[in-house]
Amino acid sequence: MYWLPRDQVRLLVNRLAESYAVYGPRRDEVSGEVVFDRLEYLERLDLQAAIPYNPPKHALLPQYEEILKYLYQKQSRKVTIEKISKVEPKALVGLRACDLNGILCLDRFFLGQEFVDEVYLEHRQKLFIISNTCVRPFPQCFCVCTDSGPAAGEGFDLDLTLAGQGYLVQVGSMKGQKLVEELGLREAGPEAQNLREKIVAESVSSFDNFALENKAWISRATNRLTTGFIKPEVWEYIGNQCFECGACSFVCPTCSCFNVEDVNRVDGPTDRVRTWDSCSFEGYTKMAGDHNPRKPVEDRRNKRFFCKLSYSQSKKYLRPGCVGCGRCARVCPGDIGLPNVVTYIRREITGE
Amino acid sequence: MSYYRGICNFCGTGCGHLLQVEGNRVRGVYPLPGHPLSRGRLCVRGWHIHELLQTEERITRPLIREGNSFRPVSYDEAIDFTASRLKTFSGSELAFLGSPRASNEENYLFGKFARAVMKSNNLSLTSDAGLEESARILLEGCGFPAMTGSLSALRQADFILVVGGDLTKQNPIIASEIHFARRSGAFVATISPRKTQMARLSQQHLRPNPGTIWLLLEALARALQTEGLVLIDNLEERVENARQYLEYLDSLDLKQASALTGVEEQEIIRLARKFYESKSAYAFYPVGIQSLDRRSISALLNLFLLAGKLDRPAGGICPVTGISNLLGSLDMGVSPAFLPGYFPADDEASWKRLEELWQVRLDRKPGKSAAACLQEDQSLKALLVVDHDEEIIRHVNRIKELEFVVYFGAYQNAFASLATVIFPRLNYIEGDGTYTNSERRVQLSQKKVEPPAGIKPMWEILSRLASALGQPWPYKSAEEIMAEISRVVPQYSGLSHEKLRASLGLRWPVDDRHPGGTEFPLAEETGRRFKFVFEGSADRRQNLHSGEAGRFPFKLVVGRSNYFWHQNSVMKRTFIPKREYNALLLLYPGGFVEVSEEDARALGLREKQPVRIVSEAAELKLATRISPDILPGMLYIPYFIEEMIPGFLHRQVSELEKNEEFFLPVRLEKVE
Repeated sequence: MYWLPRDQVRLLVNRLAESYAVYGPRRDEVSGEVVFDRLEYLERLDLQAAIPYNPPKHALLPQYEEILKYLYQKQSRKVTIEKISKVEPKALVGLRACDLNGILCLDRFFLGQEFVDEVYLEHRQKLFIISNTCVRPFPQCFCVCTDSGPAAGEGFDLDLTLAGQGYLVQVGSMKGQKLVEELGLREAGPEAQNLREKIVAESVSSFDNFALENKAWISRATNRLTTGFIKPEVWEYIGNQCFECGACSFVCPTCSCFNVEDVNRVDGPTDRVRTWDSCSFEGYTKMAGDHNPRKPVEDRRNKRFFCKLSYSQSKKYLRPGCVGCGRCARVCPGDIGLPNVVTYIRREITGE
Repeated sequence: MSYYRGICNFCGTGCGHLLQVEGNRVRGVYPLPGHPLSRGRLCVRGWHIHELLQTEERITRPLIREGNSFRPVSYDEAIDFTASRLKTFSGSELAFLGSPRASNEENYLFGKFARAVMKSNNLSLTSDAGLEESARILLEGCGFPAMTGSLSALRQADFILVVGGDLTKQNPIIASEIHFARRSGAFVATISPRKTQMARLSQQHLRPNPGTIWLLLEALARALQTEGLVLIDNLEERVENARQYLEYLDSLDLKQASALTGVEEQEIIRLARKFYESKSAYAFYPVGIQSLDRRSISALLNLFLLAGKLDRPAGGICPVTGISNLLGSLDMGVSPAFLPGYFPADDEASWKRLEELWQVRLDRKPGKSAAACLQEDQSLKALLVVDHDEEIIRHVNRIKELEFVVYFGAYQNAFASLATVIFPRLNYIEGDGTYTNSERRVQLSQKKVEPPAGIKPMWEILSRLASALGQPWPYKSAEEIMAEISRVVPQYSGLSHEKLRASLGLRWPVDDRHPGGTEFPLAEETGRRFKFVFEGSADRRQNLHSGEAGRFPFKLVVGRSNYFWHQNSVMKRTFIPKREYNALLLLYPGGFVEVSEEDARALGLREKQPVRIVSEAAELKLATRISPDILPGMLYIPYFIEEMIPGFLHRQVSELEKNEEFFLPVRLEKVE
């Protein structure tokens, strides 16, 4: 463990900016809200800021991304296909533990199965990740219920934990080790590990006082979802409140559904584009021949929560598909974010 | 930085968003968390506006028609040519069609160009009929032309009545606020023949027969009276016309109204009671894309006046606009009925004032809407149009006959092909401009990307045209135009781009007395008066069109809001919203008619079975779509895209456009 004085965070970030585009949390001047964004002005980085309204997903899985280009030449009847590679190295600075776990879920979806997604892989290989322990939870947080915070366990290059006038720096990779040495950070001493554990334990115990928006009884909900014992009426109740906007998927750090479109030009090559998609859309599951296995909205809702919380899905991610960031609850026009859904499932169990 | 604060440009909610811009390209969109109204939410359309903003199907150069094709020309040539042709027409030979998607600055200048330069008062918007009607009724009844409530304070509401349409589809984030209000304790009731999602999210759903919403609203007022829920003693002092209105109500028999509307008397009384007991009450109705009709709006206003619910610092009457700047466009006077700032066009004082401000002589000849000119005015020779979609195609033959058509547009569409001259337009993130949402919130949308190929802003083209036609206009930026608007439109007198830059929108009136805008415009502050608005005779209730039960037993309603995805030409350029509406289209390529489960069973109809709809005048073949959402005896055809506008409905189009209370008596036949 190393020690980074607060006033030297700038040095670290400047150093990163030499080889990476730096992303991190910043505050919007007028609305005051926190956005995880590409930082042109490095001084806008705000490590003390609350959990950003958007997850860092856009840095690895852009909302709209050209993945290849092809051109059909009528005269010669030739097709040329060209991979579009615009992937630049990025440093994600100040990731909260939930968001880092989100990236690990995306990794297992895009890289951990039979087919490896090359575009995602390139983004991922060029990433430098610095996580940031939540020394105090935010109102919407419930990562302690999903085993994804408040501190990161794995997956980072460097990990920061604020302790008084500086940060305890944990190294998680060779890349991280190299940077720490280049910066000449000093060792934090033999008590550092204990200090970090104490800070994290305090954060966990303060959830009762600060994380007041959401309470999620995840383990029981996982049980019910996995065994399929939730009554259809519960899903109908939830489905009636769904506005079918797709926001829950778009803001979820672990949602990986995408759409592929070809953008044609009259006299030029065609771009193949990948965009975010959502299982809450009717057109998403619609198949040829008008068949739709999940036509009613409640079936589509059901599908999403199955993906987030069922045991079979968790086996794929090696963890629950929900990381407890609480964003889906904030963006949902129908007020059926995951914590509320868990509440409705719990009510059914307890008859509250 | 790649996420820039902005506002969504689809519907009249005006949600805040963050546009992700890299280089000069829009790459994504995200909801803006701190926005006072949308509070970090967007609907399916808003979540995909970046797909539209990526399209390369833009109009990028001025074009002049040559035979059946267009020749790219310089701005100088296009402006000289247009000016020289416009010189040859008199004001009454011209019509101007503004765009509810264009900014206040653009619409103001477009209106000024029509009135001050071309001396034409034939000036209107696409979807204005309903909003203009609503403004007129509200002005007469309560002296204020727009929403008297506040959307950002909706969660504190006690009682919310939603009349007509389906807000969950048309303005989803407003519907979401209503849903949240209900979850924090408000009583929400919906009045609509269809079982909409809004209705499913309400505690009470009243389903009047098509064509009887107004009667149901009058019956609610009558129920207040019969149940002794009105403070009659000072009503005559408070509200003009009170005696006549009460007499008119006296003649309404609740039992009869119940029979005609198909709504149980007890349900009417239950809602009247809830309304009476509420500390504050809101009513919502759609204007624009699909509007509530005149009688229903009046009846709703009267109901609020009777219960004394209108002038409270919480609650109010809330027309909801379907398109981003529909309200702002009317504020700017793009209307035959109102000059900028709602000064009535039939009042000489309005004209004198405007002549003084503009320092130019104006023509008083009463104007007509562009649609009315196209439909009935043979003297019309030329048309100027801003960003219009296929809707106007129903006048395609008449437009082809015109001598001169100027089109200002950002995207290629079918309408542009009818033009003589085409000017490219900036899209809403390529220049600065203000947009006014349903709750009168004026928001500044700032430039975020450079336009392609040096497209010039519309204000610059209009200024150069005005100069070429002998009126040198001095405008150098949209900001300067707003400075002039603040002098001409009293409701905007305290507004400037500078002030708006540091805010997330201000609600008009913004003036010396309300420098931070007005959340609830109260009568004591504005010196307004109240008046019951109704057409005196009670016997019109007897004339209720009940259909011809024998030959034409079904009431065919043609709706636009339920499947409306905004301009087809706009949605075609997105991926996911296009896929979602195509999902429906692909299932019913020739269009469909919704039939209730009960009627389908009685007639032995299966899903997708072809049926013939026969009216007095014509007939039409469509596929059956069995819907749990509509009343027995009712049929519903969505009227939202060109491919689905059946020829036989064209003839009813002017009626259909007016409101959703219109229905056609038809019969349904199986096609064997």
